[in-house]
Amino acid sequence: MRAHFSREGFLEGVRDIAPMMLGMVPFGMVCGLGAVAAGASPLAALAMSMIMFSGAAQIVATQMLVAGAPFGVILLSCLVVSLRLLMYSAAMAPYLRPLDHRWRNLLSFLLTDQAFARTIQRFRRSADLRFNASYFLGSGTLTWVSWQLSAVLGIVAGRIIPVSWDLEFVVPLCFLAVLAPVLRDRVSVLVCIVATAAVIALDAMPLRLSMVCGGLLGIAAGILGDKLKGGHG
Amino acid sequence: MDRPLAIWLLIFAVGAITFTARLSFIALFARRRMPPLLAEALKHVPVAMLTAIVVPAVVFVPAGVLRLDLGNPKLVAALVAGAVAWWTKSAVSTIVVGMGVLWLLRWLVG
Repeated sequence: MRAHFSREGFLEGVRDIAPMMLGMVPFGMVCGLGAVAAGASPLAALAMSMIMFSGAAQIVATQMLVAGAPFGVILLSCLVVSLRLLMYSAAMAPYLRPLDHRWRNLLSFLLTDQAFARTIQRFRRSADLRFNASYFLGSGTLTWVSWQLSAVLGIVAGRIIPVSWDLEFVVPLCFLAVLAPVLRDRVSVLVCIVATAAVIALDAMPLRLSMVCGGLLGIAAGILGDKLKGGHG
Repeated sequence: MDRPLAIWLLIFAVGAITFTARLSFIALFARRRMPPLLAEALKHVPVAMLTAIVVPAVVFVPAGVLRLDLGNPKLVAALVAGAVAWWTKSAVSTIVVGMGVLWLLRWLVG
């Protein structure tokens, strides 16, 4: 472990990702708040945030639990929303391969949208593995700590703020804030339209499967859309 | 199964899923390249899944009742917030505007 650690790398990672932390706070809060609203004790809500460490998976798990979905369907849905992590994992893999397994496990656990976005650029620019791995560790650690602090804020807020404020509406708004800005090309818009139509049309499906099926149909439409676009040059 | 137990089981099961997904290409199948169809599919996961999560929370108010009319305050708030997100790319503005519109409409309707 020590062999790969560079103090300067760690601190630079912390510094570079710090500005992104503010944007994460509302989302982390919503996850803590959602867990409490779903009937989790404050301890379980914090454990959820510490162990799952994925906003999308946490929200899907708690919302589907409230909707009364069976255990297996909740797991399936969480698996589908976690698929993007495969993409990050594949992109990072060539750079992390020379590290020993403890470093790879630790850095994998800290792999998030934010840490990925910051770190991949650093790995592409420089070949200093010791510095880069520590940089990743620094940015990942700060992200993890900020995520837990925001969860605590959310757990506290969930116990104070009255239900009539519709605070749970912050959840779809958080996702909307990520979704809307990426709708800038035709295929993405197509995916969004197909997923919208599918999730509405399939709402009556048993076991709350409409979300997974709507999402998968959207993905299929995207693959098809790419093919058509490629065909026309 | 009672709720608290289900929640603890979920925490560990989903935790295992997210960790496995993160570990996948870094450690589990480190020697393998990603199949091209999977790579193509993964590109569309964020838009497809975010849509599938957001839409039901906005158009089924209350659950199971489809409300695609402008009398549905959550739909109006989401449309306005979506436009703000598209233009500003700012999470904070999106949340503030979305909640603001929702509260305003609720207050106007009474």
